[in-house]
Amino acid sequence: MRRAPTWPRHAIMVVVSFLMLVPFYWVLKTSLTGENIYAYPPHIIPVDPHLFHYVDVWYLIPFPRYLLNSVIVTTMAICGNLLFNTAAGYALTKQFPGRRWVVLLFLSCMLIPFQATIIPAYLITSWLGVLNSYLGIALPLLSTIICIFIFKASFEAVPRSLIDAARVDGLSEWRIIVRIMLPLSKSAIATNVILTFIWSWNAFLWPLIVIRTSEMQTLPLGLARFLSVMEDTTGALFAFVVMVLVPGLTIFLMAQKEFIRGLTSGATKG
Amino acid sequence: MSWRRILTHRFFLVPLVVALLVAGWNVYIAFNDGGLIAGEVRDRAGTPVPGATVVFFERNFIYYQEKQRTTTDAHGAYRFDGMQVHVGQLEARTADGRHSERRQLRLWFRAQNAEMAPLVVDAPHG
Amino acid sequence: MTGASSSWYQRKRTRELALVACFLAPALSIFFLYRLLPLGWNVLLSFQSWSPLKAATWIGVDHYEEMLLDDDVFWDALANTLIFIGCSPIAIALALAIALLVNSDLRGAAIYRTIVFLSYPLMTVAVGIIWRWLYDERGGFFNYVLRSSGVIDQPVKFLQSFDWALPCVIAADFWQVLGFYMIILLTGLQSIPQHLYEAARVDGVPAGARFWHITLPLLRPSIFLCIVVGILNSFTSFDLVYVMTNGGPGHATELLITYIYKAGFGQSRFDYAAALTVVQFLLLVVLTVLANRLSGGNAGSLER
Repeated sequence: MRRAPTWPRHAIMVVVSFLMLVPFYWVLKTSLTGENIYAYPPHIIPVDPHLFHYVDVWYLIPFPRYLLNSVIVTTMAICGNLLFNTAAGYALTKQFPGRRWVVLLFLSCMLIPFQATIIPAYLITSWLGVLNSYLGIALPLLSTIICIFIFKASFEAVPRSLIDAARVDGLSEWRIIVRIMLPLSKSAIATNVILTFIWSWNAFLWPLIVIRTSEMQTLPLGLARFLSVMEDTTGALFAFVVMVLVPGLTIFLMAQKEFIRGLTSGATKG
Repeated sequence: MSWRRILTHRFFLVPLVVALLVAGWNVYIAFNDGGLIAGEVRDRAGTPVPGATVVFFERNFIYYQEKQRTTTDAHGAYRFDGMQVHVGQLEARTADGRHSERRQLRLWFRAQNAEMAPLVVDAPHG
Repeated sequence: MTGASSSWYQRKRTRELALVACFLAPALSIFFLYRLLPLGWNVLLSFQSWSPLKAATWIGVDHYEEMLLDDDVFWDALANTLIFIGCSPIAIALALAIALLVNSDLRGAAIYRTIVFLSYPLMTVAVGIIWRWLYDERGGFFNYVLRSSGVIDQPVKFLQSFDWALPCVIAADFWQVLGFYMIILLTGLQSIPQHLYEAARVDGVPAGARFWHITLPLLRPSIFLCIVVGILNSFTSFDLVYVMTNGGPGHATELLITYIYKAGFGQSRFDYAAALTVVQFLLLVVLTVLANRLSGGNAGSLER
């Protein structure tokens, strides 16, 4: 049986990959070039390349401050997620009256997109008094339903004999989770951390609504504000974009498998 | 969960490498942030020019304004101490009206020690 | 004896129930506070006239009347949102083609997958800035290619033209979401049992018919999920529109979500924005039910 030649597929995929990578390259070259970026024609290879745009961005805008804010909010979101999702996932593995209703409740909350809640969420946050604070930004991000179900599936896969043995040994419920179930659910934990990181790191609309002062701005907000404030002819804005993208890309490339698994397991539950 | 598996896992190695790079960079900064900018003023023949004024311009959005000036010593060398800048311009002027080109100064971090290439002025007339 | 052991059992049971309630409480309270309560409050607010300075008064359907009869911007935003959603089948088809190409045992398929998926986890604000620069009439990639290949003489102001602004924003969104569709479809493709293809090949079924009658029907759940994500994408594209055009020029790229943001936080008309949100949510529900019906019911799943 003759196999079809593979080079047409390679050729098409090379073209597709080139098209997908062109935006990255175009921004990278603009951030390194030493010429006036608005002059036509733009050069494909950067003219007189230098890295000093990155130094300018570091001192010109409060990049360390924005980075710190983003990191704090993301860390709060990840910790809250791990805590709350583990607890909720474990509780859902038990049989209790009304369990079906709780599961249905969670599933129906998944159908409500965040964008349908922004006005009242803003009013609730200001009523709680946490407007313009780290807690206010992180509060809606502290738990995600997909991750609850991932933990539930992972906990249900733990053999009952282990749990029963632990109960006989007199361990409390929380200890059972920490000592037995979590070490066996490492992939669920990794998936949860990655998904929460990506969602809270990239969140734009919610911090835009909640943050009122410029010291509390996170990286996406700082980026959008920089766009409207500075219109200079150098590549400083694009150096900012590259600096903002590097952490996200690094973490994604490091944890690709977990990220994809988290997205597709949400698909199979859907 | 063996120690070897933890230590060679990418979730440990990648943050470790990043942390080491950041720590190394900060160590380099700590050793080189005296804020010293030094150099020499020479003329086109290569002779040092004593008594020339070197002006330092700092950047103010899109133009540069003068911030400090100092004079070269008997060997034509000048130095600025305690500078807290990462970008600026330098120009040398002599008493009889000659001046060098404006040299752009770009540093990697604030208050980096910089050893400049010589600022060149024209040879004296006559 | 039995009385004592049954009361011990009851105490144990109540302790267990209390524990379950404790464990569920934080997650449930977050979802109640930030999903269910806002949904109900939106509906309530849309029937009231309220501002932070004065108390709420019931005004019935006045906001809806104003929205449907007087507000041209609403109809522009609705049309743009529907166009946005209507273009997602194109993206899904493209992603399906790419998924088919990288699904086989192609050498380096994993690299291609990573490259196509690389754009999805990026900050959407950054993606907006990148594409805004690509469309720029002086330093942008598209104008450069078009002018140096001689297709046009003058640079085209992509993001400032009434006709091209929305397709340009949609193209930027395609670039970001293509990888996500590809991953979902790949997962679906890989769950199709190979023996079906073998049997069809043995029976002499040509490749095209194999695709139409085996692959597509078995991909229904994945395609349904992609359609739902495509619908939601028009709501989450706030970041892109805000950074690239901010709804301009003249509401040509205004989406419902950007209009809600402007009405609520620009003009401080929270009640009107709540009415808009209710309409947007109803649109989402209607479109999802429609998609469900079109893909054969039951979320396109293959079990009956």
